[in-house]
Amino acid sequence: MPFKTVKQESADALTLEWMLHVKNYKLTLDKNRCVGCQVCTLACPKEAIKTVKQPKLPGEKAKKAKVDIDMAKCAFCGICDVTCPYGAVKVTLNGVHDLSILAKDSYPTLVRDIKVDTHLCQKECVECEPACPLSLITVSKVGFDGNPVQDVAALSPAAKKRVQITIDIQKDYCPTCRVCEFKCAAGAIKVKKAFEGTISINKGKCPQGCSDCLDVCPIKGALVLGDDKKVHVNEMFCTYCGACKNVCPVEDALSVKRTKVNHTFIHSGTWNKALERITSPTDAIKELKAQAAESRRKVVEKRFLSEALKNE
Amino acid sequence: MSDPQPKHNQPEVCNCKPEELRIGVFVCHCGLNIAGTVDVKAVAEYAKTIPDVVFVKENRYTCADPGQAEIRKAIKEQKLNRVVIAACSPRMHEPTFRRTVSEAGLNPFLYEMANIREFASWCHQSDPKAATERAKDSVRMAVAKVRLMQPLQTIEVPVTNKALVIGGGIAGMNAALDLAEMGFKVYMLENTQSIGGHMAALDKTFPTLDCSICIEGPKMVDCARHPNIIIFANSELVKVDGYIGNFKVKIRKNPRYVIPEKCTGCGECKDACPIEYPNEWDMNLGTRKAISVPFDQAVPLIYSINKDYCIECFKCTEVCGERQAIDFNQKPEEVDFDVGAIIVSTGFDVYLPYDMPLLGYGKYPNVIISMEFERLILAAGPTGGKVIRQSDGQKPHRIAFIQCVGSRDKSHYPYCCNFGCMYTLKHVVQLKEKYKEDVEVYVFYMDIRSPGKGYEEFYDRARERGVNFIRGRVSRIDEDPTTHNLVVHSEDSLLGQPIEVEADMVVLATAAIPKKGSEDIARILNLSRGSDGFFMEAHPKLKPMDAPTDGVFYAGACAGLKDIPASVSQGSGAASRAATVISKPKWKIEPIISIVDESKCRNKTAKCGVCQDKCPYGAIRIEQGKPAQIITASCHGCGTCVAECPQHAISQMHFTDAQIMAQIRAALEDKPEEKILAILCNWCSYAGADLAGISRFDYPASVRAIRVMCSGRVAREFVLEALRLGAGMVMLGACHLPYDCHYISGNYKMKARTDALKGMLTKLGMSPERFRVEYISAAEGIHYAEVIKEIDAEMKALGKEKIQAENAKLKPILDNMLKRK
Ligand SMILES: Cc1cc2nc3c(=O)[nH]c(=O)nc-3n(C[C@H](O)[C@H](O)[C@H](O)COP(=O)(O)OP(=O)(O)OC[C@H]3O[C@@H](n4cnc5c(N)ncnc54)[C@H](O)[C@@H]3O)c2cc1C
Ligand code: SF4
Ligand code: SF4
Repeated sequence: MPFKTVKQESADALTLEWMLHVKNYKLTLDKNRCVGCQVCTLACPKEAIKTVKQPKLPGEKAKKAKVDIDMAKCAFCGICDVTCPYGAVKVTLNGVHDLSILAKDSYPTLVRDIKVDTHLCQKECVECEPACPLSLITVSKVGFDGNPVQDVAALSPAAKKRVQITIDIQKDYCPTCRVCEFKCAAGAIKVKKAFEGTISINKGKCPQGCSDCLDVCPIKGALVLGDDKKVHVNEMFCTYCGACKNVCPVEDALSVKRTKVNHTFIHSGTWNKALERITSPTDAIKELKAQAAESRRKVVEKRFLSEALKNE
Repeated sequence: MSDPQPKHNQPEVCNCKPEELRIGVFVCHCGLNIAGTVDVKAVAEYAKTIPDVVFVKENRYTCADPGQAEIRKAIKEQKLNRVVIAACSPRMHEPTFRRTVSEAGLNPFLYEMANIREFASWCHQSDPKAATERAKDSVRMAVAKVRLMQPLQTIEVPVTNKALVIGGGIAGMNAALDLAEMGFKVYMLENTQSIGGHMAALDKTFPTLDCSICIEGPKMVDCARHPNIIIFANSELVKVDGYIGNFKVKIRKNPRYVIPEKCTGCGECKDACPIEYPNEWDMNLGTRKAISVPFDQAVPLIYSINKDYCIECFKCTEVCGERQAIDFNQKPEEVDFDVGAIIVSTGFDVYLPYDMPLLGYGKYPNVIISMEFERLILAAGPTGGKVIRQSDGQKPHRIAFIQCVGSRDKSHYPYCCNFGCMYTLKHVVQLKEKYKEDVEVYVFYMDIRSPGKGYEEFYDRARERGVNFIRGRVSRIDEDPTTHNLVVHSEDSLLGQPIEVEADMVVLATAAIPKKGSEDIARILNLSRGSDGFFMEAHPKLKPMDAPTDGVFYAGACAGLKDIPASVSQGSGAASRAATVISKPKWKIEPIISIVDESKCRNKTAKCGVCQDKCPYGAIRIEQGKPAQIITASCHGCGTCVAECPQHAISQMHFTDAQIMAQIRAALEDKPEEKILAILCNWCSYAGADLAGISRFDYPASVRAIRVMCSGRVAREFVLEALRLGAGMVMLGACHLPYDCHYISGNYKMKARTDALKGMLTKLGMSPERFRVEYISAAEGIHYAEVIKEIDAEMKALGKEKIQAENAKLKPILDNMLKRK
């Protein structure tokens, strides 16, 4: 049957499309945002996504793994869109980014729990803006007259006091690395990671002189080159996305494990399976148990409530 | 198909020593038809001299009551145990005289006809003496055969009075409903999720423009509700064993992941499901949910999950709740049942012209095919009945229709699809009546074909609405990449000049092609398909609904494209054909079938199976280490296997090697080098020879003809024996290649065999013209006469001496080759 599909790739994007007469489903992978991590490949219920390790040319830095999507398997459900920590994928229907899996409660959204209390901000400070490794933060300052302020230091103390600070974070693309939180001396930003887990490097196996993982890690500071010419991890900033794991040339030299995903509450088979793959079966069971306990608690609560009502 | 045969129904062969032969010969005058040319008296006198002939009688009209009475009387009084009737063609009266002799208590297979009318008096009127000689030889040949004949019993097999209909389109539904109404149980197999076929996807139907699903929907529901019909949708045919009256069917129900008995068809799951995928039913113009029915009127109304797209969120299970109709672990399930007859009504597919790049289908968004147009203009379709362009969702104001895309095209599908002109007329009338002046319509056509009740009037209606008809083949379509408007390049063959038409949308009326999967159905049921890929009938004119496999019938477009009225009629026709089988408690089979001499069959010790490969009907079962087994009820009696068996382990009842050899020897008893020995197949070349006689085409009387059922029966030994005995010329008559053979492909098997044989004989020094194969249809009397004249002339040109010399050289070799026999 004339089922028209289009797959196109440019330097900046990979797009997949179902061109039906009355509907247009489109998936766009923003290659500039994609870091070549493991998350979408694991989340995809149709196993349509693959990461392909790119050849490393001598003398060059390692390249991030390339994500490829199989047109024949993709169901345009948008799970990669929702799960990508970096917000690199967008799935639209007739140009509208309004995912049915979310509307129908088939899949949770990642909770990017970032709290900013601008009251704590020092008026001169813009530390967080350049700190963000993905340049997602814009700090803007507005004076009492409502006009943007360029140079806070030049203001009078009174005017300085009345400066309003807004910190705008493009949350959709934020992998919750916590670098901004760390850089903020005033403690104005609190970030809870969307993915929790562990990362470690097996010193014995990690070859000296290789820094492939560090080359591809999108979060500056999560991996550092030590004096021993070996890579060390800084768990504090790691998003547990696994981009490094995808390029590490030595088996078992690097281990990235996700143990928990912070997400909105949901009852969904798809999510249970995705969680199992993103974390591990045991970790997924933990969540399910917690969920079951939660529902049991609700049932009991309801019973108490109804009994209480009866007694009234 | 294969199945153990009903053993008790094996034709009985009497191996006991026949009692003393008492042959009666009856020579017919046929008024003056025979007696006018042939000296009947001389023939009768001659007959008396033939050994074992104890009684000879002349009749004026043997087939008339008094003539038949005389035969019966003679059988009784003279204690005749074999009868030869020298009269007209056996194709004319063989059944009549079978009845006559059996009424007298003689087994009907103990009589033989000598054709002395079509084959003597009528075709040799210019030479009565030679005609008489030929008549005498014919009698001698018939006596030679009748001596060796065995009594045979007509075989009877029990019949299961149920039917299977494969394909639930409009044709199949009508067949099923008719049979169900007659009281038969019908299993209806449909491989998609709903019955209805193409018609359920159409908007309106020509020429009356009534709503398609409104007239078909009630029939679909009738099928579902009828107590005698069981529908297996979403199921496929796996295997069919057995034979007419006794088919064992195995089907596979593919999982829907919804339990049919529990699904109420409420559709709540569909609303909960987040996933959509392109709906094939809508020609993928729109979408359906991962759990859904293909269209609202689907029958049976059972939801299905498409696991290719389902993400297993289980939202459907959640809303389905206590009904618990959803079962993600459903597995394919095989079901077995028995039926007595099968109707194949698998319809057709629509051609998608991706391989005609000049038309831009698949490349230009505003080039669509007619089937897509049906879904666009349908009010319940994905656009709500709005005809819009894919490129911008706008209504087109200029629409061009292009006819015969891929049809009547030697490099694609050479045949006419039969309904393309009519449905395009429907589309243009619909457009004009819906959008009036707002739309300009062009139709590029080769010829408008509108034969049918009310069809030409419908064409007039289109012309009156101001549709522009342009006669010419379209050479290419170009697209303006910014506006996505199209330019159609064609020639206007009426004006004899090229023409360009700009259009906002182009609709291609594409070819209708054989249904995908037809090859599997053909393999499972042993059907043949024509070069166009559609199923082939047992006879294109007289048995248009019968498949070559007994007990299998066709309805609708699967055996050649048809519109709805014709498909409906065929559905009813096939139902009545099937009823002729399943209404009977027993089915009778002519015993002219093949049997295997188990002691000779090589397959017991070695791997052979030649017969199985050559049988056009798959009627032979080969198991390792066991002798070949012929499924009595599937054997059509062509005798191909007999001629192919390297061990001579198979013989055909009523046409045994010994019988035919006896005929050959009798034919060549006298002056063989002046004779043409012809072996003719019953259905084409023998009938052609009959026609030569009926038409009174005069040809040389040097020919002596032997009838076999199929040219596939002609063993090499027959030719070798004829030459060994010194025959002047040998000729085999067969049905035309490729499709005329009454037994599907017996003529091909014969050709392969004789091509090799001719090569060998020529190498041995025989003049090549002395052995030839001729393809002669039942209509080619003149051709038969010409061929015999030609052969006779060649024989004369070669001269007796040369022939005798060649024969002398051949004889020792042939003697040696035939020693085994
Ligand atoms: C665009 C278009 C418009 C048309 N408009 C008209 C019109 O207006 N008027 C008119 O008279 N005719 C029209 N026709 C022709 C009409 O569609 C056919 O005459 C009719 O559909 C033939 O019916 P059928 O039952 O033989 O085949 P189909 O409708 O093709 O039905 C065959 C059925 O068999 C099933 N099947 C196939 N293979 C198998 C298998 N292996 N196992 C189980 N099931 C199987 C199929 O799924 C299907 O349900 C039109 C055709 C086209 C393409
Ligand atoms: S489980 Fe599959 S069919 Fe059911 S609602 Fe989810 S996507 Fe749809
Ligand atoms: S080849 Fe002909 S005669 Fe032999 S089994 Fe098949 S149908 Fe019967």
